[in-house]
Amino acid sequence: MKKPLAILIGIVVLAVLALLPLWLGPFYTRVVQFFFFSAALALSWNILGGFAGYWSFGHTAFIGIGAFSAALFGMNVGTFGTGPVSMIVPLLVAGLVCGLFAAVIAYPTLRLRGIYFAIVMLGVSQVVSELVNNISWFQGGVGVFLTSPVPSGVAPEDFYYYMFGGLLLLAFLITLLIKHTRFGYALLAIREDEDTAMMLGVATERYKILAFVLSAVLVGLLGAVYGYSVGYFTTYTVFRLDFSLNMIVFCLIGGIGTLFGPIIGTAVMLFITQVLLSRFLDIHLLITGLIVVAIILLMPGGILGALSRSRRSSLARKAEVQP
Amino acid sequence: MMLFLQTTLNGLVLGGLYSLAAVGFSLIFGVMGIVNLTHGVFVVAGAYGALLLFRHLGIDPFIAIIPIGIVLFAIGYAYQRTIIHWAISRASLVASLVVTFGVAMILRNLMQLAFGPDVQTITPSYSFTSIALGPLQIDLVRLVALGASLILLLVLALVLARTQFGRAVRATAQQPLAAELSGLSVQRLHGLTFGLSAALAGASGAIIGIVQPFSAASEVAWTLNAFIVVVLGGIGSPAGALVGGLLLGLINAYTAQYVGPSLTTAMMFLVLVLMLLVRPQGLLGNSFGESR
Repeated sequence: MKKPLAILIGIVVLAVLALLPLWLGPFYTRVVQFFFFSAALALSWNILGGFAGYWSFGHTAFIGIGAFSAALFGMNVGTFGTGPVSMIVPLLVAGLVCGLFAAVIAYPTLRLRGIYFAIVMLGVSQVVSELVNNISWFQGGVGVFLTSPVPSGVAPEDFYYYMFGGLLLLAFLITLLIKHTRFGYALLAIREDEDTAMMLGVATERYKILAFVLSAVLVGLLGAVYGYSVGYFTTYTVFRLDFSLNMIVFCLIGGIGTLFGPIIGTAVMLFITQVLLSRFLDIHLLITGLIVVAIILLMPGGILGALSRSRRSSLARKAEVQP
Repeated sequence: MMLFLQTTLNGLVLGGLYSLAAVGFSLIFGVMGIVNLTHGVFVVAGAYGALLLFRHLGIDPFIAIIPIGIVLFAIGYAYQRTIIHWAISRASLVASLVVTFGVAMILRNLMQLAFGPDVQTITPSYSFTSIALGPLQIDLVRLVALGASLILLLVLALVLARTQFGRAVRATAQQPLAAELSGLSVQRLHGLTFGLSAALAGASGAIIGIVQPFSAASEVAWTLNAFIVVVLGGIGSPAGALVGGLLLGLINAYTAQYVGPSLTTAMMFLVLVLMLLVRPQGLLGNSFGESR
């Protein structure tokens, strides 16, 4: 696609999305808001899992850490400003705490590869959630609260629609930037063959840690805003295994390691589970499992992978026809 | 002191169950390099099987091990020859991780639909009898469960070490290509290994059903336990599973007694993380590792 055309389409999409809440009722605004949240999570997971090939099975740890840092900061230190302005400092704190935590655990955990890294991250999320739940200072068991930043006169679902929309845009732009810079190529090299990349002079250790920290900070910000949107939460509201799994499943379905894959995958899965099957809650797990198995067996590259493969083969066919 | 000994005894009994529940996972991991995330489902399916046989036919869970083992062997064999094989040949070894995860979700949901979300237990008439070893108390059922686990582990170890089938399995694990060139059907052996693993998981499930409450949702915990056992003990051998399982049981019991019962999961994962960082091959190492 040509660059001006891509920018034009981007602007149109943004304008439509910005005006969408005017037509959508509160229910569908919430559905789209949840889509923004999930897609932004998937994109953030994709930075580490998709580009660098380090599949984290415990990214929900950062949702929890982000939400709890924001809430505990507000409860222990105090709030600065009112309305939306009051979110600024807690969000910065949430991002900072997540970034620091990721930087500390990155060095030991990123020495592990493949399934070992995946399971250790699952372990990290379990340990953190149990500690938050059992150490009384964190108040994970009784729950913490965040003062609503929604200005008066604005519907909460509209406010969070724009908040999560903004974060999705941020995650998208960061992914776009990564993909087209040296950093992105380094991560791809790590995914394809880490030892060779290291031998060729790619600073694998530094790039991996950077990708991990970046991914954690984004998820932490999302977690903090999620904390605001629910207002009051306990450990198990934010440390949820299904958050971790959804990030992976959405990326897998759309196409891991691509720019649009996580967004498309989230849209498809949420459409199937929230809209088509909203009345069959007890078989959601079954359907998700079936889709995951089918994707792996039928189109291992996800939806985008299947599309690009069919385009390539049709181009090849055209080339054969020409004399 | 008595409390310490009693805790140790409880931990060892629990550890025996962990060992049996994990040995099949360890075998598949060692022989095929596959992390089978469906493993916990097989364990819980074994427990539900024992529950059904006990409730409707009055069959004792320890005898139910045999029919459950046969059924799960067939399921495991078919599962490897179809879905797992397709996933590996079409995508990659990592894809098998995702596929087994997807199948686990499907099966867990099906079990929830069939049996409901309630926590179940199997209570045979002897389940409250306990015997005294000097000043220490132990439930008879737990002692028998430990014994049954150890016997099954021993049988597996002998099968792997002494029989023609065991030699063939070890050969395919060490050098799949060379094994194939020597006339072994690697595909069939992989299927049989998977069946064996599922049968052992089902057998452990039947025993676990008497000792601990279970529900469809507990499959995740059993899969993770199996993984931790393998990381602690080492991949691919009954001895590794035994060492890892006993260690995990002890960690669990000591944490519950001396640190706090709500922190056992955190402690298990803490040990897992430390172990992976210090000695990722496990205490006894990978029994098929040298040639990979």
